[in-house]
Amino acid sequence: MNRDTYVIMPVYNEAPVIGSVIEELSQAFENIICINDGSTDTSAVEIRKTPSVLVNHPINLGQGAALKTGIEYALQDVNAAYFVTFDSDGQHKVDDALKMLEIAREGEFDVVLGSRFLGKAENINPVRSAFLRIAVLFSNIETGIRLTDAHNGLRVFNRKFAEQLDITMPGMAHATEVIHSLAKSGLRYVEMPVTVLYTEYSRSKSQSLINSVNIGFDLLMKRMARK
Amino acid sequence: MIVIQVLLITGIIAAFGWFLLNPRSQQTHAWIKIATLLFGAFAIIVVISPNTSNVIARAVGVGRGADLLLYTLTLAFVFVVINLYLKNREERERYEKLARAFALMEANLAEQRRASSKKNASDEGAQGRSATEA
Repeated sequence: MNRDTYVIMPVYNEAPVIGSVIEELSQAFENIICINDGSTDTSAVEIRKTPSVLVNHPINLGQGAALKTGIEYALQDVNAAYFVTFDSDGQHKVDDALKMLEIAREGEFDVVLGSRFLGKAENINPVRSAFLRIAVLFSNIETGIRLTDAHNGLRVFNRKFAEQLDITMPGMAHATEVIHSLAKSGLRYVEMPVTVLYTEYSRSKSQSLINSVNIGFDLLMKRMARK
Repeated sequence: MIVIQVLLITGIIAAFGWFLLNPRSQQTHAWIKIATLLFGAFAIIVVISPNTSNVIARAVGVGRGADLLLYTLTLAFVFVVINLYLKNREERERYEKLARAFALMEANLAEQRRASSKKNASDEGAQGRSATEA
């Protein structure tokens, strides 16, 4: 059952939903890695009840760092061929992940990215939608890669990309970093329509739009530091 | 020499001396040390003869010495803030690596334990069966 595939899921204070998200994923995937990023609730306890692997950050390091930890854990297995990043708040559909994995397995593309704007974004707030589209525009101009959705947590990629993916930024700026890595790698990528479910729970959890200012600032400072 | 001049000069020498002698500053670049020394010398000169700052200010096209001081201070402050931000990020990257290594080690140990307890359980199961058979 997709033994060569690792689902990587950063978890931060998701105790109410994490159990059911893993349950659903485990119907299709054998290797599920949950990176508990210093949650202050009982997320770790909930994860231990499941067959998934728990990797515990001793302190909160941000979602980008958690993804990196998960990828490093999965790369320890030499048989790991495909990697799925999945949001732990239940906004992604397992079916979408499976479809994307199928595309990746066909071998024509190294990276398959989920896009809510090619697919359906259910119950999305119009302000958020506009914001995300602006974020995409910036990301496209900056990276030279044309995408319709730059901040989607659902991605499937092969080992080649996992090995060169470079995430160094804390927090949410990693979404742009993934695309930077993609641009640098020259690997083949494709976007797939996916459904993002904006439930009341995920809405209450999602980052505030003002945080995009922080993301922009972090990326700017990174560029300065490089020079 | 008025009392405030003595106090200020003592303060300047103490502050810069502390900065230059601090073992951590050995890693800072030599030019930062030179700049610090120059700035310290300049500060002492200005304290002894306040008019010097006016002369310099006029030479560079600023009205008063006090304004010149404010401008250079602002610049120095911005420099310090950016420097601190970058240092802070560097530190962050270091402890992130440390925390990740720790998390991976712990997870690998836990997986080993889980695998061996599963194995033990199945061994015991096999023993139990052979015992009943006997």
